[in-house]
Amino acid sequence: MSTVPGSGIVRGMALTFRRFFEPKATVRYPEVRPEIAPRNRGRLQLLHDENGHLKCETCFQCAQACPIECIDMGGVDTRGRYNVHWGPAETYGERREEAALRRSGRPVPDAAFASFAEVDLGPVSAVLVAHDHDPAHMLGILEETQAAYGYLPVAALRHISFATGAWYAMVYGTASYYRQFRLAPPADGDPALAAADRRPSEASFLSALDAALGMGPRPAPGNARTGDAAGPRA
Amino acid sequence: MTRLLATPPSWPRVLTAGFGADDPTDLDAAVRAGAFAGLARAIRGHGRTGTIAELRVSGLRGRGGGGYPTAEKWHTCATTPADVRYVVAHGYEADPGTRVAQALMEQRPYAVVEGAAIAAFAVGAAEAIIAVRAEYGEAIRRLRLAVERATDAGHIGTDVLGSGADIAVSVRPVQGAYMLGEETVLLRALEGKRGQPEQRPPYPAERGLFDRPTVVNDVVTLAAVPWILVNGPEAYAAIGDPDAPGTVLVQVAGAVTDPGVAEVPTGTPLREIVDLAGGLASSYRLKAVVVGGPAGAILPPRELDTRYTFTALREVGASAGSGSILVADERTCVVDLATLLTRFCADEACGKTIPCRIGLRRLAEIGERAVTGHARPTDPVLLADLSADIVASALCDHERGATRPLTTVLRYFRDELDEHQIRSACPAGVCRPIAVASGAAAT
Ligand SMILES: Cc1cc2nc3c(=O)[nH]c(=O)nc-3n(C[C@H](O)[C@H](O)[C@H](O)COP(=O)(O)O)c2cc1C
Ligand code: SF4
Ligand code: FES
Repeated sequence: MSTVPGSGIVRGMALTFRRFFEPKATVRYPEVRPEIAPRNRGRLQLLHDENGHLKCETCFQCAQACPIECIDMGGVDTRGRYNVHWGPAETYGERREEAALRRSGRPVPDAAFASFAEVDLGPVSAVLVAHDHDPAHMLGILEETQAAYGYLPVAALRHISFATGAWYAMVYGTASYYRQFRLAPPADGDPALAAADRRPSEASFLSALDAALGMGPRPAPGNARTGDAAGPRA
Repeated sequence: MTRLLATPPSWPRVLTAGFGADDPTDLDAAVRAGAFAGLARAIRGHGRTGTIAELRVSGLRGRGGGGYPTAEKWHTCATTPADVRYVVAHGYEADPGTRVAQALMEQRPYAVVEGAAIAAFAVGAAEAIIAVRAEYGEAIRRLRLAVERATDAGHIGTDVLGSGADIAVSVRPVQGAYMLGEETVLLRALEGKRGQPEQRPPYPAERGLFDRPTVVNDVVTLAAVPWILVNGPEAYAAIGDPDAPGTVLVQVAGAVTDPGVAEVPTGTPLREIVDLAGGLASSYRLKAVVVGGPAGAILPPRELDTRYTFTALREVGASAGSGSILVADERTCVVDLATLLTRFCADEACGKTIPCRIGLRRLAEIGERAVTGHARPTDPVLLADLSADIVASALCDHERGATRPLTTVLRYFRDELDEHQIRSACPAGVCRPIAVASGAAAT
């Protein structure tokens, strides 16, 4: 706090005058071009490796990290099917759906694309109301949504993102990470497909491990199983 | 239940006392056996800081793999300024082949609940969450019953023992992937987010669940806490190795006659632990033991004198990890085994960082080239360099651990690896290399 009246104005004007005589930082743009660092990407562009494959793995890291959500993935997959999830398709030219599903440990049956159809949003809205639209309840919201539809339809995921304010990349990333979620309707009558809905790596790892160690088949898992949640595990 | 292996009568039973009871959820029987006496002592006698001080004297270190001193973790959590604190009991048991936590939660539900409640009291948390692997249906059922009965009886709940402290314990099934074992991933799962690790520090004890200070302890660590408070920290510190006293739960499996779970004092030589499982099932000689689960070290017989302590294991390139000890006889090819483990670790890696997403995949490929007879002349050097880079640049302990199978094979089974990489041959006769002319496996 100043005690002399007017001293604040004097100090302020002193700053103004100092700045007035300092050299300016303005670049007179079209005539003078600023130096651009070699790693600056400007407009987002995906790079190809030496074999011509896209280097992007569709891991959603960048979309999840981008604070203003300008990054998202959408477009046409490697089989030429249109399956935009969200956001402008032109930003990321090609969405490698196959890769996304592979990362999630799930097979890519054609039935998966039924999940892009429009659905009745009534059930998911009810779930959201029950959870107070709170994004901290995401797992619960997703679990109940899956219980309502039998799987997680893309339209419902979008609605969850919209209603909770959680980024779509985050909602999708969560849904595709946990073993209990299905992004496609369960394949009726095809137990092989239904089983493959779950993360297959643990069961096959254990049987390979047993084989490598020359062990016989493991005893059936005791009481350690609960309904649908259980992957084969010994 | 997984079999409990018989151990010498002189070995103390801190965790497995009471295993095999008719009904482990019977509260009266449990209380007669001493349940909730530790919590009462903490509240009536020691108080918050006193409880942590007792724990410090006991020398208890985390059984989740890292071996971090439990008292320090609790102290950090208790002294970090915050409005809310949490305790998370880690019962996810990430290693798909190990079931020690499952056995403990099924057989001693009250010890786990009480341990979590003591932690909550000591750090000033009103909520303790026991996160259990969703497949462990029976463990979840028993833990829930235990929480319900203990709450009804007033052992936990609101205003416990008139102390004014509220301790709510809840049981949360979690499922997902191997990576949920990592503590920051488990916390993300409890928050409902995608399971990827966070940079540490800040450790969860400073900023954890919902950004609040959170104690994350293995259920095995927590189950020892009531015993320590009842029998005194000096008694616990006198068990096993002075550097990391107490007992550990291990699981011995693989090519042994009698696989099962056992409680052993720390510092017990690996050989003695392996012998608990009744020796080899075949007439072949022992070739290797895999210590610590999928990201485990593959040790040769001459390292069997290694004592089971955090420091001694680290010196031979291993980690206690999930408590799993897998025994392999001479029919096993260690290169094949290491490749299998590395591939699993690479598949389960979360994809967040480059060592995790790309590094582990390249590492698994080195192993795969070796077992299929396609090794490149540069592979031995690449294996050493890449592993060192991954260890140096990893975000979480999963990537660091995932280098162990192949690096320990490089360290202890160099001859066998060379046979694969240089001559495209498998001495154990397991791998069927697509043999190119001998020595000309370069691509
Ligand atoms: C890949 C990975 C898997 C893990 N799995 C487990 C596990 O199954 N159970 C566990 O208690 N800790 C596990 N941990 C260790 C935890 O991150 C954490 O350090 C531990 O639970 C802390 O408890 P403690 O202090 O009682 O050891 C794992 C860590 C990593 C990196
Ligand atoms: S999704 Fe983003 S971060 Fe992940 S590989 Fe593609 S461009 Fe890179
Ligand atoms: S496993 Fe992905 S960062 Fe550690």
